[in-house]
Amino acid sequence: MSEAAALPPGEHLVHGTDPHLAHHFSSLERQVDASRLGMWLFLSTEVLLFAGLFTGYAVYRYSFPVAFAASARTSEIWAGTLNTIVLITSSLTVALAIHFVRAGRQRAAVACLAITLFFALAFLGIKAIEYTAHFHEHQLPGRYYRFEGVRLPGAEMYWALYFLMTGLHGLHVVIGMTVLAVIAWRTAHGYYSAHYYVGIELAGLYWHLVDLIWIFLYPLLYLI
Amino acid sequence: MTENGEHHSALPYFIVWVALVILTVTTYRTGRMHLGTWALPLALTIAVTKSLLVILFFMHLWEQKGANRIVIGTSFVFVALIISLTVADVATRFPLATPAGAPFGSDIPAQLEEPAPEYQPPAGKIGEPPRGVPEPK
Amino acid sequence: MRQSEEDREKLGAPPAHESYLTDGTTVMSWLNTRDHKRVGVMFLVAVVFFLFLGGVFALAIRMKLLYPGPFLFDALTYNRLFTLHGVTMIFLFMIPAIPSAFGNFVLPLMIGARDVAFPRLNLASFYVYLAGAVLAVWAMVHGGADTGWTFYTPYSTTTPTMLFPLLLGVFIIGFSSIMTGINFIVTVHTLRAPGIGWMRVPLFVWGIYATSVIQVLATPVLGLTVLLVALERVLGFGIFDPARGGDPVLFQHFFWFYSHPAVYIMVLPAMGVISECVATFSRKNPFGYKAIAFSSLGIAFVGFFTWGHHLFVAGQSVFDNGVFGVLSMFVGIFTAVKVFNWVGTMYRGAISFKTPFAYICGFLFFLVFGGMTGVALATVALDVHWHDTYFVVAHFHFIMVGAVIMGFLAALHYWFPKMFGRTYHEGWGLVAASLIILGFNATFIPQFLLGNNGMPRRYYQYPEHFQALNVASTAGATLLGFGFIIIFIYLVIALRWGPRCEQNPWRSKGFEWLTPSPPPTHNFDKIPHITQDPHDYRTHAPSGVYTDV
Repeated sequence: MSEAAALPPGEHLVHGTDPHLAHHFSSLERQVDASRLGMWLFLSTEVLLFAGLFTGYAVYRYSFPVAFAASARTSEIWAGTLNTIVLITSSLTVALAIHFVRAGRQRAAVACLAITLFFALAFLGIKAIEYTAHFHEHQLPGRYYRFEGVRLPGAEMYWALYFLMTGLHGLHVVIGMTVLAVIAWRTAHGYYSAHYYVGIELAGLYWHLVDLIWIFLYPLLYLI
Repeated sequence: MTENGEHHSALPYFIVWVALVILTVTTYRTGRMHLGTWALPLALTIAVTKSLLVILFFMHLWEQKGANRIVIGTSFVFVALIISLTVADVATRFPLATPAGAPFGSDIPAQLEEPAPEYQPPAGKIGEPPRGVPEPK
Repeated sequence: MRQSEEDREKLGAPPAHESYLTDGTTVMSWLNTRDHKRVGVMFLVAVVFFLFLGGVFALAIRMKLLYPGPFLFDALTYNRLFTLHGVTMIFLFMIPAIPSAFGNFVLPLMIGARDVAFPRLNLASFYVYLAGAVLAVWAMVHGGADTGWTFYTPYSTTTPTMLFPLLLGVFIIGFSSIMTGINFIVTVHTLRAPGIGWMRVPLFVWGIYATSVIQVLATPVLGLTVLLVALERVLGFGIFDPARGGDPVLFQHFFWFYSHPAVYIMVLPAMGVISECVATFSRKNPFGYKAIAFSSLGIAFVGFFTWGHHLFVAGQSVFDNGVFGVLSMFVGIFTAVKVFNWVGTMYRGAISFKTPFAYICGFLFFLVFGGMTGVALATVALDVHWHDTYFVVAHFHFIMVGAVIMGFLAALHYWFPKMFGRTYHEGWGLVAASLIILGFNATFIPQFLLGNNGMPRRYYQYPEHFQALNVASTAGATLLGFGFIIIFIYLVIALRWGPRCEQNPWRSKGFEWLTPSPPPTHNFDKIPHITQDPHDYRTHAPSGVYTDV
């Protein structure tokens, strides 16, 4: 009935059994479970954060279907598609990094994390090219919209949402890159092992979330 | 530390990756076909499938505890909630109360002669009525 | 009086045990603590400060409303004052008060844990809260916004008053709320002592758990909403701007998607406190433990489905009005379940009428009336008459002040001996409770009448025939203020000069009373193995005689 501590009751907690074990947890396994649950809770807050933007998208897409479809056609579809592949592959490499740490292959893991960072940079680079193209075409949000190709009510809304959603997503890419860089450094310096790799796992979870959000952004903003 | 389902091969990750790439290509091709009303449900179905692959296999939710699944599942339920009831509002309003008279006014291409005017916030000094508002008698 | 003299005779010199209070007495040992108890005390000091700040704003508003015409200050200042009153009270006091002050202190003790799951995150949540609060106060000092705490567009996107720092402050405080929520959920899942299964968790923990679920799911939407308003002000993104095709009502959807569950963030912990106190001061088992536990989760869940009732007259569609009107009724069911359970617990209990019990009485009365007026407001046809009048103001103050602050004061008086190892003067406690309950009634019952007679809210001037009720309301507010000042005085005196108390002065069966009062830093010398149900006041004789611990 009770899924409580693994230690017998009344037992003094023994400090120093494992250098990673915090004093208030009864076992390392429980501590790792707690870290994972905490991370999933944090990911759900990120999902709800983007939910508001998806709601705005849904409302304005419903209101201005022609403008949204026309504007999506003028977006840089090649860039969006390439970025999707880039992010999916970076998810693969970060999953592989964890796999390699669990298998005890530290250097392969660091290499995978480095490749992930490279893909993340590539994503940002492609995004930068895209944004530059949009600035030149005056496909800008709200009152700055001057694009001659699509002059419909609601085009301004599309671009406002485009920049908000990809901008917030891009911010999360930058945060994820920073976290991954720190984790890569720590992996290279032996902080993680097959026995204890929570840090990489949590960073990986965050990165997968960044990929997940893009999986939804891509068709909604570029394709339909 | 051992876990259920610890696999010694990296092959499952590559299989999932291939599936994701195939689904991406599929959504790209079907997106370019401009399928009309079916475009959105199809795109969302493919996106949901891809995200399930990432969540269950890359993020290992398949092998993890129930609490984690309930957490992420609940968050998706609430996303559906906020989107559905908010769109339901706009969809069922008296037509002239929706943004720009949409959806009834928005399928006619606008013939704008010049770009929309530069946005001007209406207020003047703090405490004064906005410009253009008639003074009360 | 008598009680403290007996205590002094029994206890003599202060006890020699070390506690979390004596473990490190430098400022840095407090500022850099990992101890959930110290974090809780720091939060308590901060939220009490903001309670008084918000109270000052409230009294300023009520002073102005003594006269129907211009008085004391101009309309713009008045608009700023009610905005600041709302922002201070809601974001700086009500949201963090019971969870971050008392939840932090008591929750690990109640589940037999040595700390929360992420102690450093806990400390970080305090500093993030402070940072957001400082920013908000800075915005207030530099003039402050005049939009109301609800920041409705299009006024909030175009007002020339300084809104950005206030929005940023609210955004930052949201992070603190999320951190606390994550910490508590993980703590309850992973740190329960042996023997404490889910159905043995104390009722306050259920309340905090449900609150944390709401904090985690709802607060990000608030963050996004204030971010969108800030971006529209600074960069002209135009999401809510009709000239760009935007919809101002969309802001209200986003805002209330957070803010309605937010009121349950405020009320659920108070209900948890009341559950604890009702059992202790009736010396009786809760009438229905599972009913109270699951109704907490029910309120948390159903609370998310009701936000549109704030938009009934905003231009929301008739369809959504109907949907939200019906869904809003469901929350009342869970609240009613709780009220019946509390009353059922007290019935035929051995009532000990101490100060926390006085607050329980106030809480029950105000929750029932506030809740019923809430159900009335959820009826669309009635809301058309009452929306944006003082009827709504009275309704939510009955819940926010009448229920939540009663719960806060009950928690403060119930756990004061636990936290500081001293007792306060019981007589003054009852005097202050009476003043507060009386003052509260005098303040807000006239407001129901004002609202029903048509006085709009947030108006600087009002027609002369409303003056009598406004004067009555202000008189009540003054009484309420006196009550709070008296509490502050005798509690501060008790902190320094109060008689030291024994470990369990209330003879409560709560698990947190198994530790010394105040507890040592590590909470328990040995992690307890709990074999009894929480709040179990039965003996094992069938006659139903209640014994001491």
